[in-house]
Amino acid sequence: MSFALACASTLSGVVHAQQSKPSEYQVKAAYLYNFSRFVEWPAAERGEPFAICVLGKDPFGTILDATVSGQGTGTQNLVAKRVTKPQDALACQILFVGNSEEDHLKEILAVLGKASVLTVSDIPRFSERGGMIEFLLKGDRVRFEVNLSNAVNAGLSVSSDLLKVALAVRKNPQSGA
Amino acid sequence: MATGQKGSISRKLTRMNMLVSATALLLACIGFVAYDLSTFQATLVRNLSIQAQVAGSNSVSALTFDDPVAAERTLSAFRLAPNIVSACIYRPDGKAFATYQRDSSARIPSRPQIAPGDEESHWGEHDDLMLVHTIVFQGQSAGYVFIQSDEQTLIERMKHYFTIALAVLVLSLIVALFLSHVARRSIAEPVVQLAEVARTVSRGKNYAIRAIPGKEEGELAVLVATFNEMLEQIEEQDRSLRTAHDELERRVEQRTGELAAANKELESFSYSVSHDLRSPLRSIDGFSQALMDDYGEKLDTAANEHMKRIRSATQKMGLLIDDLLNLSKVTRSPMQREPVNLSDMARSTATELAKRDGQRSVEWVIEQNVQAHGDSRLLQIVLDNLLGNAWKYTSKHQSARIEFGLKRQNGSSAYFIKDDGAGFDPEYSARLFGAFQRLHGAAEFPGTGIGLATVQRIVLRHGGKVWAEGAVEKGATFYFTL
Repeated sequence: MSFALACASTLSGVVHAQQSKPSEYQVKAAYLYNFSRFVEWPAAERGEPFAICVLGKDPFGTILDATVSGQGTGTQNLVAKRVTKPQDALACQILFVGNSEEDHLKEILAVLGKASVLTVSDIPRFSERGGMIEFLLKGDRVRFEVNLSNAVNAGLSVSSDLLKVALAVRKNPQSGA
Repeated sequence: MATGQKGSISRKLTRMNMLVSATALLLACIGFVAYDLSTFQATLVRNLSIQAQVAGSNSVSALTFDDPVAAERTLSAFRLAPNIVSACIYRPDGKAFATYQRDSSARIPSRPQIAPGDEESHWGEHDDLMLVHTIVFQGQSAGYVFIQSDEQTLIERMKHYFTIALAVLVLSLIVALFLSHVARRSIAEPVVQLAEVARTVSRGKNYAIRAIPGKEEGELAVLVATFNEMLEQIEEQDRSLRTAHDELERRVEQRTGELAAANKELESFSYSVSHDLRSPLRSIDGFSQALMDDYGEKLDTAANEHMKRIRSATQKMGLLIDDLLNLSKVTRSPMQREPVNLSDMARSTATELAKRDGQRSVEWVIEQNVQAHGDSRLLQIVLDNLLGNAWKYTSKHQSARIEFGLKRQNGSSAYFIKDDGAGFDPEYSARLFGAFQRLHGAAEFPGTGIGLATVQRIVLRHGGKVWAEGAVEKGATFYFTL
């Protein structure tokens, strides 16, 4: 039942956390997909599927696949992938960094460099440590912070609508100019 | 008075201007408002739709990432639109997500009233306009926006129109006032001046005045020029008329003088002639008398008879001269008008006549208290003559009846003396009042033929009229007015 509701929510691009009480990761999976609608990537090669990847220990299980299945942004196919090496993540558009990778965060981000990969994670202070979007829990609501500088450095353009609903929008002082 | 006259035409012009501009403006306003109101509903819906779309697209991310606070922040912008009573963002499943209420009385439908698949719908409710718009994001329905707008907008708009219309009305009336002021200078002013000149001319009869021509051309200039021309003609005619009048007056005066002199001459001539004729006549009569007295016995009967005839002729001539003198006296003596009782006068004359010949049987009918206003001496002569005539011309009848009175007819009245004596042929009635004119022979009735002429002269001097009616042997009636 709750699974069907989550599906219905993601279909319309919204998750109603309070109302139908979906699980935290159901909400997060929906958000991962929804981010793709408010962020623009540099022109992707045709035929390439739009990949939402998970690095490290996967907290979603089948939820992410269920959310992603059948969703396509325009002509592109949407796929959910599990990657084990940061290098593999270079082919992804959105990368969820699992909690297990907290210690290797620096190396992962260094590997990604300026690649146009939207990095998302639950890791505390992720947005301050070089990541782009950091999930937070405010009460029982899933919120997020955005580090705009990191996204811009990666060649991503984040919609102001997304920034409007972010808990915080950070900018790195050194990369401000 | 002049200013009142002056005011009337310029006031009319001003009123006309005002009326025209006010009417045109009102009609224009009515047309404009009617047009605007006819399209206003559509405009209102369109505006509301745009507002709904803006609010909706601004709420997409809030809906997507379940942030009602952000959505409410978006809706709170409606605070700047006082006509928005309430607004609400619904989730795609129809649950309210974020609301905005202008005040606590604002109500929000629990679910968006829109058919699935419709992009937008609107309806009216208690003068309020409701609109629901589907939020579409990247081809998918992201939720709904509901907006309720009240009639305040309409009222505001009407107030706005009214204010603007009033302002324009006042402004254009001021302009019209100014224009009419200008028009007054060019139209009313010359007319007013012309009227003023016309009035001055009419009042003072001074035709030398001229209207000052204005700077304008056209009808007004023609009017002024024609008016001046007419004045010139009138002045010319007035002058010649005056000259003719003066000439005539002078001539009449001259003729009157001449006539008066001639009349006086004639009168004094006839008086002196009458007077001078008397003394030789008195000699003839006196010496005839003396001849008869002293030598009557020595003369034979035939001579005595001749002497008698001489004496009777001289006496008759004496009477003639007396009458002539009377006639001239009547003309010469000044008149003194006073109230006169003609009845008393007639009665005394009748008594006098009756005493002269006691043998006659005459019935006198004299109306009581007939009053007149005139010269008593002259009126006595009139009554003496007319009553004397009546007495005389009834003398051939066995018995007679003589009447005196006042006859009233057709609102006017005339005195009359009526007898049933010899009368006269009405064919000759015109000759009755001529001097020395007699219709009867002296042998039949004695007389000089001056009496009625004297009567006529006296009546004429009183400003009256005398006339007679009668027939042969049917009596005569003499009427006179004073």
